[in-house]
Amino acid sequence: MYLNFAHLHLLLNHFPIIGTIVGLGLFLVSFVGNNKDLRRASLIIFAGIALLTIPTFLSGFGAQLGIQGKPNVSDALIKRHEGSAMLSLWFMFATGGFSFVALWQSHHRKRAADWTITAVLLFSLVTVGLMARTGNTGGDIRHPEASGFTNGKVVEGPIGSILSALEPTPDKFSQLMLVNEWWWGFMMALHFLGLALIIGTVGILDLRIMGFLKQFPVAPLHRFIPFAMAGLAINIVTGMLAFIGQPENYIYSGAFWLKMTALMLLGANAVVFYMAGTFEHLENLGPGEDAPAFAKLVAASSLFLCFTLIVLGRYIQPLGDTIRNASN
Amino acid sequence: MAVPAILNTIEQTGLSKWIRYSPSVFGFYFILLCHTIGLSLLVGANAVVDLRILGVAPGLPLKPMKQLFRFMWVGLAINITTGLLLLTGYPTKALTDLDFYVKISFIVLAVLTMRRIYLRVFSDPALSEGDMIGQGKTLAKFSLVFWIAAVWAGRMLSETYTYITYGHRYAR
Repeated sequence: MYLNFAHLHLLLNHFPIIGTIVGLGLFLVSFVGNNKDLRRASLIIFAGIALLTIPTFLSGFGAQLGIQGKPNVSDALIKRHEGSAMLSLWFMFATGGFSFVALWQSHHRKRAADWTITAVLLFSLVTVGLMARTGNTGGDIRHPEASGFTNGKVVEGPIGSILSALEPTPDKFSQLMLVNEWWWGFMMALHFLGLALIIGTVGILDLRIMGFLKQFPVAPLHRFIPFAMAGLAINIVTGMLAFIGQPENYIYSGAFWLKMTALMLLGANAVVFYMAGTFEHLENLGPGEDAPAFAKLVAASSLFLCFTLIVLGRYIQPLGDTIRNASN
Repeated sequence: MAVPAILNTIEQTGLSKWIRYSPSVFGFYFILLCHTIGLSLLVGANAVVDLRILGVAPGLPLKPMKQLFRFMWVGLAINITTGLLLLTGYPTKALTDLDFYVKISFIVLAVLTMRRIYLRVFSDPALSEGDMIGQGKTLAKFSLVFWIAAVWAGRMLSETYTYITYGHRYAR
């Protein structure tokens, strides 16, 4: 038994499709009786699912490489699904992004701002709908008994017609990223600025928790984290656009997949840090005071993972051919 | 203007060839990686100090941030070393590219600003935090602009070069 991109895609696609439904369900229930814990849980789910949508999308391209050109496989159906995925991806990121902001606000003020919660509600509702469409169009590729399409000829229903007008054409979207070198350079320059911002802001907080730079109180250092989040957002967006532009440059690189794994681990690390209540105890640490051993471990792994992202990112190109035969 | 022959001379040296062609794990990509790590230390630490001077995290005492300059100098040292190695590997590519000179100019400006911030804001222990911030506000703004420009210009080098090596023009 071995894992190929088709396996990976079929495994991961459950997260953005089912995960968003679960998140939305909890989010809506949290309004009954204004349940803060449920609200927080649903926001963490949205943020986590948004992160997992990244490898889900990426593996889709690999799955495509595995089946295109094979008998009874319609290129039109694949493109339809890809376009739907491209649209739902950005709404998922918006939902996740606003969820991060809401989590931040609820930590530093008494509660998240109304505008943030409204944004999460609106974007999550649209995301669930778009993800359902994406799942549906994906199933149609290999399940003619479900789609009812014959010979790969696509017939959209009323909702499908509206959505297909809004969904990007995959090839055109890719071309847009490659339209000129200056645009590509601009995106990559933003990527580097994002990484510098992350290292500086996450670095100073992690180093303090690890026991260095003890002259700083911990709580104010946390104020830099929104800049780290902005850096991460810039890097996720520019990274996704780069992949959409030249997927073959990344999909076969072992370093790229390791980097994505490291990114998921960084997300898990953040969840452990905030959910395990670690941070609550750290907030009041003054200058000279030591953090508990568990907190130091989490902080060290966070910093390690940030540097791992840089190292692996740098090696994407030289290790660009390490995964051949995307699917079998 | 013809490309100076000395660039070819440099490219024919053993070191230059090793940097360009070595399959060793410590070859070109490792040097480039260290350059990236150096910049993340240099620009990252600098950005945090600049942001604090400009009012982010007001609860954070400014005086201890003097320690962050250590990271900046380490990052700069790494980048000068790796930068010189990269230049040795591809002297024609860099020195015939206007963007390279733009990058170096912004780095020089950013480092001078960094030094001025160190001297004007952090050197006098008698200054109050409010006074420290007053001394550094304009410098901090310039510092951020210079570093953003330097990183940007640096990353654009892949898109702006004309010669990959002496005699090998890249068709754009």
